Amino acid sequence: MSDTLVQIDGAPRPPMDPREVARIAVNLAVVCALSAVVLGGVFMGTERYQKAASLAREQRAVVDMLALGSDARVLEVRQFLAPEKREVVYRVKPYGDEAAPVREVVFSLEGALRSTRAAAAATVPAGLVPLGRLFVAQRSGQPAGFVIEGESRGYKNRIRFFVALDTAFTVQGVRVVEHEEDPGLGAEVATTWFQGQFVGRTADRVVRIDVAKVPMPEDWRAALNGLAGEPAGAWRAKHAALITREAGQPIYAVTGATISSRALTRGVRTTVDHFRRRWALLAPQLGGQP
Amino acid sequence: MSDTAPPPGPLQLLVNGILHENPVFRLALSLCPAVAVTTTVLNGLILGVAVLAVQVLSSVTVALVRGAIHPRVRIPVYTIIIAVWVSAIDMTLAAFFPALYAQVGLYVKLIVAFAIIISRLEVFASRQPLVPSFFDGLGMGLGFLLALVTIGAFRELLGNGSFAGIALVPRPLLFFALPAGGFFSIALLMAFFNRIDRAASGGAKRPAAGGSHHG
Repeated sequence: MSDTLVQIDGAPRPPMDPREVARIAVNLAVVCALSAVVLGGVFMGTERYQKAASLAREQRAVVDMLALGSDARVLEVRQFLAPEKREVVYRVKPYGDEAAPVREVVFSLEGALRSTRAAAAATVPAGLVPLGRLFVAQRSGQPAGFVIEGESRGYKNRIRFFVALDTAFTVQGVRVVEHEEDPGLGAEVATTWFQGQFVGRTADRVVRIDVAKVPMPEDWRAALNGLAGEPAGAWRAKHAALITREAGQPIYAVTGATISSRALTRGVRTTVDHFRRRWALLAPQLGGQP
Repeated sequence: MSDTAPPPGPLQLLVNGILHENPVFRLALSLCPAVAVTTTVLNGLILGVAVLAVQVLSSVTVALVRGAIHPRVRIPVYTIIIAVWVSAIDMTLAAFFPALYAQVGLYVKLIVAFAIIISRLEVFASRQPLVPSFFDGLGMGLGFLLALVTIGAFRELLGNGSFAGIALVPRPLLFFALPAGGFFSIALLMAFFNRIDRAASGGAKRPAAGGSHHG
């Protein structure tokens, strides 16, 4: 066996036989093909359950972030682009009810209302490119709060998150729901203390927000560390002065994870910015003021 | 170990992995992940079980296909085999244990790079038949699992004042929950382990843990 092993003593190695090279290539190709089959099999067996689990997690996050009472109902709005017709399509339905009828609201790219109509429930028409989702809480027909889904490119893979806004577009919370950042570094952006930095900022401030690579003030750090064990409302009341002071400051980056910090911050910024413009168009169709 | 040496018996292989060649306390392999995840006993347990599964599945796979692997590309092939099993376990955890996955999901993917797994494939499973390879993988996996649980329990108790989430000690020493405290914990447990091992073997000194290993 030793004569075929790679030599590490620096001795000159004879040139490789082309047939040997071919055998190695075939060997690796077969290994990769078999691996792909195994992975594909496991994926097909688990995908359904994984989707159900992540849907349940998402629903908990939405309800939790909106801090809803039992009298509120939540609408799910999915936004699509129809590139050929040059249209933006919003499909609106009660959240969590896959069989419920869908209302379709269609705008031109310039923002002119083209049509609203009832559509078939489950199937999304072909040719529509998904652009994202938002959730609108309604209380007696009036919007009571929003959760907007956003995505950003993190250090390793996409970071998917929710931003909760009240009706004045003040941030109620930010929550990362899916990411693959490094544990102990980039993954820190998914912690309560990092996400808590966004709470209480108005949309006007959020759309200009950026990241600072300076140490976080100790009193603000201590307050944010307390957020994990306290309801968001009580926490905001207790630290109102600090939150007001910090609302004009940039987001303090996680040490050693500037890229991840920036990714989430910029993601929140564009998500809120886009939402403001979308909602101005959509509000009259959903019983709210633009 | 050569191709012709008779493989040791199953029980001997198990004891070897758990005691004489314990991956963490004896071979000093995969210390970084051992420090990273063992802040609580539950994290240690979950990751330990995942490593055990990956080690056994990879050892068995390599033992089965060892004749077909070209020696020049054996390391990439081992890596692919480990990556396949890690991905399979990752997907299974995400599908059926979402709550656990939310806690340890990020660490599970890192198992691909655990030195202990590939070193058992190279040292043992690529040279031995199926049954001994299975028991070697099982012993090493159990050794790693027990080490992670011990370190996790030690650090959670001292650093967080609790065991499996139940508060026990009123004033914990945060130091033990931090990474530096993790290394100290491993060193203390390693010394304790050596002491026991020496007493068990009648005072005879064993050579120190493998200093040439990394990861």
